[in-house]
Amino acid sequence: MAGAKKAAALSPAVRKLAALPILVMIATKRDDGSVQLNPVWFELKDGFVWLNSNTKRAWPKNLQRDRELTMLLVDPKVPDRYAQIRGRLVSLIPDPKAEFIDRLSHRYTGKKFRELEPGEHRVTFKIQPVTVTGQMI
Amino acid sequence: MAVELSPKMQAFTQEVFPAIIGTNRKDGSVEIVPVWFEQKDGIFWINGGTNRGWFKHLERDPRITLLLIDPKEMFRWAQIEGRMVNWTEDPGGEHINQLSHRYLKKDYQGPRTGRIKIQIEPLRVTGAIDGRR
Repeated sequence: MAGAKKAAALSPAVRKLAALPILVMIATKRDDGSVQLNPVWFELKDGFVWLNSNTKRAWPKNLQRDRELTMLLVDPKVPDRYAQIRGRLVSLIPDPKAEFIDRLSHRYTGKKFRELEPGEHRVTFKIQPVTVTGQMI
Repeated sequence: MAVELSPKMQAFTQEVFPAIIGTNRKDGSVEIVPVWFEQKDGIFWINGGTNRGWFKHLERDPRITLLLIDPKEMFRWAQIEGRMVNWTEDPGGEHINQLSHRYLKKDYQGPRTGRIKIQIEPLRVTGAIDGRR
């Protein structure tokens, strides 16, 4: 993306959708340039999108390499209402005590996250929304 | 080379929800949008217009990734890496009307002219349906 990367303000409709315990679809690029899509847990807070993963999966590696991604939120009741959000990675925060993944787990399941596996390292991604497009604008 | 879909994937792709497609923009970023799809004989079909952003991306780079996800149980999902192998006109909107019946159980209400159908060959399947991440 060329030019200044200013933060995009999310509309009330998008914020309302993001408050639901739905998954966000994230698109990252593999190193061969092909597109990888994954549904993941997220939270929208303080104008940023927050994601969490273990460090072994492919999408966090892709995201750390490119520092940008595209996200899609779809209204579960009306599938052609959606918001596409392009974002950039502003920081990577280790989550050694699994505090943030516990928080996400409570949002989605009402329970604490499972015990971490031996050697499992969790990391939190702070994403700044850059542009928003789609049927919900 | 195209891959064959497993029986589980065959069944999953008959369920009715949009596919989320990812294509490559010229600037290297990814566009993702939900679209209607159908799977027949191992081939995925979507419908659009030549003016759609994602179609322009496919003409430049035929690689396309489809995410299929059950909106009611979102842990049921599959990712299909594929490529556009062909596209043809959709005269009279016959194909979009067929998709409309799949999704809405009625005739397509939008304009039926200027539409195209896009043929996508699956190259790799991952995700929870086949149990391969």
